[in-house]
Amino acid sequence: MKALVVYPNKEALYAASTIGEYAALAVGDAELKAAEGAPVVYLIKGDPRDLGLRASAVLQTAKEYDVIVMPSHKDSKTLGGYVAQRLGAPFATDVVSIKPEGGKLTVERYVFGNKAVAVLRLSVPAVLSIAPGKFMGEPPRAQSKVVELSPQAAQLFRISGVEPKASGGVKIEEAEIIVSAGRGFKKKEDLALAFDLAKAFGGQVGCSRPIAADLKWLSEDHWVGLSGHKVRPKLYLAIGISGQPQHIAGILDSRIIAAINSDPSAPIFQYADYGVVEDLYKIVPILIKKVGELRR
Amino acid sequence: MVEETPLKINDIDRNAVEEALKLKGGDKAYAVSVLKWPPLQRRVQEAENLLREALAMGLDEAYLVADEGLLGADQAATAKAIAAVVKKVGADLVLAAEASIDNYTGEVPPRVAAELGWPLLTYVREMKAEGGKVVAKRDLEDSVEVVEVQPPAVISVTREINQPRIPTLLAIRAAMKKPVNKLGLAELGLGPEPRAELAELRPVVIQRKRVIIKDGTPEEKADKLLQYLRQEGVI
Repeated sequence: MKALVVYPNKEALYAASTIGEYAALAVGDAELKAAEGAPVVYLIKGDPRDLGLRASAVLQTAKEYDVIVMPSHKDSKTLGGYVAQRLGAPFATDVVSIKPEGGKLTVERYVFGNKAVAVLRLSVPAVLSIAPGKFMGEPPRAQSKVVELSPQAAQLFRISGVEPKASGGVKIEEAEIIVSAGRGFKKKEDLALAFDLAKAFGGQVGCSRPIAADLKWLSEDHWVGLSGHKVRPKLYLAIGISGQPQHIAGILDSRIIAAINSDPSAPIFQYADYGVVEDLYKIVPILIKKVGELRR
Repeated sequence: MVEETPLKINDIDRNAVEEALKLKGGDKAYAVSVLKWPPLQRRVQEAENLLREALAMGLDEAYLVADEGLLGADQAATAKAIAAVVKKVGADLVLAAEASIDNYTGEVPPRVAAELGWPLLTYVREMKAEGGKVVAKRDLEDSVEVVEVQPPAVISVTREINQPRIPTLLAIRAAMKKPVNKLGLAELGLGPEPRAELAELRPVVIQRKRVIIKDGTPEEKADKLLQYLRQEGVI
């Protein structure tokens, strides 16, 4: 089978290389660089944010490919749905495995808020977005042949500006230890406890949806969950987090999950390796002190 | 197990309904839902009741597309059915949730836009109508795009866009009298669609140790936890 990588990055290139012959489609110079090593790179000069332009480029080249492979993010999911409908193709998002089998593509993805794994057998053409961290190999490297395209852009929307997001300067996806805060914290100032413990551990502070989205006590780069960030640290310590399915879905790949909650029936305990039933205001100061001593 | 699970309104759909109510002015606003889960007969009743919740919020009329040919069909079929209803009622703006909260793919709004050939905005956290245009903010991972489209358009919204209203008892009663139109594929000029090729659905086995520390003083519990974490080699 032949695969076309859109929004090229190493994981998507590797995933595509496991399907068969592959090429990449790059919009702008940064993506051209990211696609380096792919046997064929289609280059479109233009705004990488312009989804209409990208969709047109994909539709122009897609006929020659069986599978479109992309990393999973909001723009790739938007593009994926759009081009899949045009191609009459299935679109499987956040796939964790891909296997070509007898002219079809068998993929797995989590469904129902990560309560189940669906095994899908897709006819081609098919569009896929891949879950991060599941395709970690080295793509074979070739001398890239660059083909320039200038598609007729179908405008989906006009961009009049881009604003950076308020940021706490956190890359929570990359943290090895995450101390995460939920509604158990009674006021914003109390989050200092989470920050102090994270500092003692040498980790980062995460949070559940209400803290970032509703109360806005922390910027959204701290937000862990299905609509926040999916994380995979070696230790995820959830403090005062009840464990809504959308939150759990964001932490499933953590190596060890520990939880502190005063409510023994909090769902988070079902998903934790170690659960402590205790008032966070009593135990976290003790942990800060002890972890600080441990590391000294 | 899936057959026994009751249907519910996708939480974020309530935000889409709320936004429609803000924008509709003197025009009509419709709800459309495509039934995908068996068994058909029971689900039709269930879905109708859920649509009445959207009507109670203030929508004027609802369309329910229910057909054996759609049960278990893929999302391309869902998009075609929605697009057909959009054309039937003559709507010029489609508002949807950024994604459904069960599977979170977010693919239906872009598919509907492609089907209709309309402009598309996804992940909108703020929007207003301005001189015939919609000016909006798209909420991406690391940035916010300020964008505009000229309707007709398809727009998917996030939870942050508004606070959905809770219908009053009076509105709930009034909603019982609003029309819920049931349509099959043939009435929309559509044929049966290929099934999504679901080969297997297996529950995720939670392989967590689930050790609960609940006895002792906070100090003792802290020691216990740290001891476990050291044993695991994570600290």
